[in-house]
Amino acid sequence: MRHALVVLALVVSVTGLAGCGDDDSSAASGGSDKELPTKTIDVTFEGDDVTPNGDRVEVEVGQPIEFVVKADTEGEIHVHSDPEHEFEYGAGTTTLTPFTIDKPGIVEVESHQLEKTIVQLEVK
Amino acid sequence: MDPVSPSWGELFAHGIGGQKDLPIPLELTIAGAVAALTVSFTVLAIAWRTPRYDETNGRPAPPRLVTLVGSRPWFYALRTLGMLAFAYTAMVAVAGEDSLINPLFGIFYVLLWVGFVPVSLLFGPAYKAISPVRTINAGFARLTGSDPERGVFEYPAWLGHWPAAIGLYAFVWMELVYPFATELGPVRLWLAIYVAAMLVGGTLFGNRFYEMGDPFEVFSTLVARMSIWGRRGDELVIRSPLANLANTPVRPGLVAVVAVLFGSTAFDSFKDSIRWVKFIQGDYVQDHDLGLLFGNLGLLSFVLMVAVVFTVGTMLTGVGPEMRRRDLPGQFAHSIVPIVIGYVIAHYLTYLLEVGQQTIIYMSDPFSNGSNWFGTANWTVSYYFSLHPSLLAVIKVLAVVTGHVVGVIAAHDRAIQLLPKKHQLTGQLPLLVVMICFTAGGLYLLFAA
Repeated sequence: MRHALVVLALVVSVTGLAGCGDDDSSAASGGSDKELPTKTIDVTFEGDDVTPNGDRVEVEVGQPIEFVVKADTEGEIHVHSDPEHEFEYGAGTTTLTPFTIDKPGIVEVESHQLEKTIVQLEVK
Repeated sequence: MDPVSPSWGELFAHGIGGQKDLPIPLELTIAGAVAALTVSFTVLAIAWRTPRYDETNGRPAPPRLVTLVGSRPWFYALRTLGMLAFAYTAMVAVAGEDSLINPLFGIFYVLLWVGFVPVSLLFGPAYKAISPVRTINAGFARLTGSDPERGVFEYPAWLGHWPAAIGLYAFVWMELVYPFATELGPVRLWLAIYVAAMLVGGTLFGNRFYEMGDPFEVFSTLVARMSIWGRRGDELVIRSPLANLANTPVRPGLVAVVAVLFGSTAFDSFKDSIRWVKFIQGDYVQDHDLGLLFGNLGLLSFVLMVAVVFTVGTMLTGVGPEMRRRDLPGQFAHSIVPIVIGYVIAHYLTYLLEVGQQTIIYMSDPFSNGSNWFGTANWTVSYYFSLHPSLLAVIKVLAVVTGHVVGVIAAHDRAIQLLPKKHQLTGQLPLLVVMICFTAGGLYLLFAA
């Protein structure tokens, strides 16, 4: 009996706190039809190094994301969203096609050649 | 509508499955930790003083169910299911394409590993019921005219669950550290070694080997201790999960099994944190080519940390003359199981549901040539929990905190059973602190990763 009461108090308190927490992004994005500004992320490849090097970048669900890549050799970037996106770039400066992510979550963006995570997109 | 087959090196740092869950919000993390803390000390202060859980708990299951579950047809049906699954898995392992759309990866990393957790919670020791290795062993035994129950030797009691702990470590090493974990060859090899080891064990020690040393069976049976299904002698009974848990047989290596399960899940979380990614990709590690070394060290450290902290926490108490301090960790190991289950649910829920659905879709196309064996190839995955991150975050925190509460209650009952009267409250404090650290650590990893 005590056990049940304790667990119940727990459930109520946690759920209550959740209610005061962040809004559902799906509820928010459902209501807003405004144009989201394009998020531009600069990526620089130099030899075996890439900048950014595993940083986290916040973006919104449905926001166009554009990578501007400066590289010394050609390569590929893979975006591990559902579904995945693959982009090829050549040496020099390339602006990749903007894409959007339609679900909240953490999406890894990796360099295929270097096998490194460039950024983790925190999609909210 | 053929999905693009990812090329070789792409999967280097990356497991199967696309997006990962968002970190839980700070308010929820703190709320969870505070709730865990409050409930822990409340339980300590007001809970019962005489042990409640022992073998006599439980009432007999409905007679129809008992007959059904004890019948030969039921037994054969479940084992046949296991053999069909085994045959399918062997088929895609040997003849399938080396690409991420081969269902083998989903079967191995999701259905086999995480899938058995809810199934065992609901239905009892599920892996044991379908175990293909037991069936193969029984088949060989019949062919050679011997009894599968008995092997060449008696299973040594001191060995306990250590083979299972090692097997589980081999699995999580493959999943979390090995760079080529999403290539067909390595997974096929792992499974081949697993089957070979299980068959050798079965020949040497009989069926008892599977109960003690099969990593998947031990994992599933341990999780099943939190189900309502128990045995009192040979009788099938329905019991409170807490009573069932309290009757977990204490064997050598139980602490190791629990430590591998908890430590590996924690490391899986930690691996995705910004701090770790930047470290592994940073100049120091890259220039000296130490990525693999640090991966190994990371996994080992987390597992050892859990084992050591837990062992110390249980031993830091006064004991009566009948109990040896060394036996305490094993006696309390069952109380970590709910915390493990809670954390596994929190960490792997969307993984199981979303990648699991994706695997069921891939299973209709075992050779990646566009076929549709089971009619699921054109289904779409429902991303319900990913699309509702607030709800998902609440579920995660509830799972972790509930696991903690159940663990504290289990530890309390064991403590008043074992410890002498004057140490009953103070003796629980170190273990309580350990559990709070585990839970707070788990919540922190969900927040920071």
